[in-house]
Amino acid sequence: MGTQEKMIGEGVKFERIRRITGYLVGTLDRFNNGKRAEERDRVKHSVQTGLEKL
Amino acid sequence: MIEKITKRDGRVVDFDISKITNAIFKAAQALGGNDLEMAQSLAEQVIAYIENDLKIQNPTVEQIQDAVERTLIENGHARTAKEYILYRAERTRVRDMNTRLMKVYEDLTFKDASDNDIKRENANIDGDTAMGTMLKYGSEGAKQFYQMFVLDPKYSAAHAEGDIHIHDLDFLTLTTTCCQIDLIKLFKGGFSTGHGFLREPNDIQSYSALACIAIQSNQNDQHGGQSIPNFDYAMALGVKKTFRKLYIKNLAKACDILAGVENAEDTIKSMVTALENENGISPDLANSNAFDELLSPKLAELVGQENTQKAIVFSRSYSAKETDRATYQAMEALVHNLNTMHSRAGAQIPFSSINYGMDTSPEGRMVIRNVLLATDAGLGNGETPIFPIHIFKVKDGINYNPGEPNYDLFKLACKVSAKRLFPNFSFIDAPFNLQYYKPGDPNTEVAYMGCRTRVMANHYDPTREVVGGRGNLSFTSINLPRIAIKANHNVDFFFEELDRKLSLVTAQLMDRYKIQAAKKVRNYPFLMGQGIWLDSDKLKPDDEVGEVLKHGTLTVGFIGLAECLKALIGKHHGESQEAQNLGLDIIGFMRKRMDEATQKTGFNYSLIATPAEGLSGRFVRIDKQKFGVIPGVTDREYYTNSFHVPVYYEISAFDKIRLEAPYHALTNGGHISYIELDGDPLKNLDAFEAVVRCMKEAGIGYGSINHPVDRDPVCGYTGIIDEVCPRCGRRDGEAVSEELLKKLGVYTGNTETCGYCGDINEEHDRQMNTNTVDLSE
Repeated sequence: MGTQEKMIGEGVKFERIRRITGYLVGTLDRFNNGKRAEERDRVKHSVQTGLEKL
Repeated sequence: MIEKITKRDGRVVDFDISKITNAIFKAAQALGGNDLEMAQSLAEQVIAYIENDLKIQNPTVEQIQDAVERTLIENGHARTAKEYILYRAERTRVRDMNTRLMKVYEDLTFKDASDNDIKRENANIDGDTAMGTMLKYGSEGAKQFYQMFVLDPKYSAAHAEGDIHIHDLDFLTLTTTCCQIDLIKLFKGGFSTGHGFLREPNDIQSYSALACIAIQSNQNDQHGGQSIPNFDYAMALGVKKTFRKLYIKNLAKACDILAGVENAEDTIKSMVTALENENGISPDLANSNAFDELLSPKLAELVGQENTQKAIVFSRSYSAKETDRATYQAMEALVHNLNTMHSRAGAQIPFSSINYGMDTSPEGRMVIRNVLLATDAGLGNGETPIFPIHIFKVKDGINYNPGEPNYDLFKLACKVSAKRLFPNFSFIDAPFNLQYYKPGDPNTEVAYMGCRTRVMANHYDPTREVVGGRGNLSFTSINLPRIAIKANHNVDFFFEELDRKLSLVTAQLMDRYKIQAAKKVRNYPFLMGQGIWLDSDKLKPDDEVGEVLKHGTLTVGFIGLAECLKALIGKHHGESQEAQNLGLDIIGFMRKRMDEATQKTGFNYSLIATPAEGLSGRFVRIDKQKFGVIPGVTDREYYTNSFHVPVYYEISAFDKIRLEAPYHALTNGGHISYIELDGDPLKNLDAFEAVVRCMKEAGIGYGSINHPVDRDPVCGYTGIIDEVCPRCGRRDGEAVSEELLKKLGVYTGNTETCGYCGDINEEHDRQMNTNTVDLSE
């Protein structure tokens, strides 16, 4: 490369907004250990079946 | 000769025999003795024993104390010795407490939040800031003080052991949890924040600004969150005032340009005011022409017949557009304010909730639409707003079915929630909510606070089963898995032990109420001083608040029904119908005990599905230590939230809703159910809405839908980001080239770390929507 390319965003983390115990939190970093584990374990709930039954 | 002794903390200090004498004398005094000389002589024997028999020159405190006990017993002072041992044990307990507190302080001081769980107890407080840490010093110190000196030892022990959890213990002697603020009542005639007086607001901008101030002020008088139960109805009054102002202003402009009326604004204003006073109606957004018809003949005298209609059409059209714009800006400001304004010495922003969706007036609809659009647009850089929590009230006949007046707003609410996680949805038609609903009285529409609290029934004053001015006083949760583990598969024993715990907690809540009751109005300058709390406007500054607090609730909560069922019968309620039946028996029993306590005491006892802010890991940590790892019970780092089917368990949305719904009817102090959706729900809004509808039909009271919302601050992408940003291709923490950002059209060169501030798509939406004025669609 001839000229030095200007780089942007070094060290800037993605924001990951999650809801836990009712509140949204802007970053997983502030979750306590129990909440982090709970968030990690979550599985998705399928909406393929059943909803039309009601 | 002993000259120095070594203290417990290792410091070497001068030896002083009078300290031994005093300790012995005090122990004897406790038994009625009063012989100082005897104490002196015994102290000398202690020294002699250490020097001559033990041959220690530099004893430790422990060694001296052992010698004192021995000497007392040898001299026939067995009872004094016993007293001395008790005294010593008490001192040790206090010292341990101090040491533990100092250890906590040390960690708070020298460890980052990333290494310190206490600093992350509440995810919305930044424990690394100066004020956040200061708050923690106070909180941890207060907790220890109350446990030692204020709480009855039986509650203190149950809390420390993890049988129960007394929430917000640091505020035990200070205040109550939360309140539903009736803004309509508060704004009437203006109010004081305790630091200055604010006049009754006169347009939608000031309505929204004062709403934020009310939330902020009240948050500093209580330890929980603040909720506005009637957001749409309250803000609609501001919209009305803004429209009236603009109507006069635009009419004046038209008269000026069409007929050269001088001083047009003053003239029109007096004309409008006179008509209002005579006829009792004002110009408003509704398309009824009643006011315009009254105005026409008067206006014709001023500008002529031909110009009158033109002027009115001009004013109506511009005023509607400008009112909508002003409302959007006011709602945008509200969302921005509630995400930036400080409370609690700057460590937090206020925990705020707003309930809306039911106001079908054009003004109310304008408020609902714009607060949703402002949330959809996000904050300054397109970030998802964390506060306020939005609760969209769903109701048949209002907004649930096609053709109903606010159905379009329900659809919009689904769309915004699919992008921003809010609003949540509350269901006024759930039988336990519908029983309070009186059409035309917003104060009877159930509201939810913060993460789930619900306050509606009022046994203390059955004529006031309303949302405004009421809240929870305090709540304490029971560790259900603990009782189940101890029961060792014996269900009868489980219920007996649960019954005992319920009695313990019921009494503890009453003890706490008695502390709260003795507080005075002036301890809560806003909550009570400004009449926010129901009936507090009848009190004077030095009156006690005990009587009016009875409008609030005393609430028992619970954690880990799923683990409890696993421990009792090997399956949780997602896995077997038997477990579901037992689960309903357990929670039904708890509710029954609350109803009995209500009947017996006249207080509003209720049962809440505990949110577990700081508790999700605490109980299981203690139980793992006590009982080891029990599969399905203590083998994770958290107990499952309240009555939820465990987050790790594979289940369809339909089944989860079906299984959790009956618990909503039992938990009258609050509840919420979550569904986790896969992928980007914006791409499948039908599925999103189907889940909401399913919740309503199943009898859920309050629910919300979770989905991942990620954002790359560098290129502004909002959506799902796995490892790599789908827009600019960078990984977490990596840099991208300015060239690439330019090529993507997301570079503005504003800052060093952020190529693009704001999200392209959002900004398109924003411009499009602020110009929307058609309220009839």
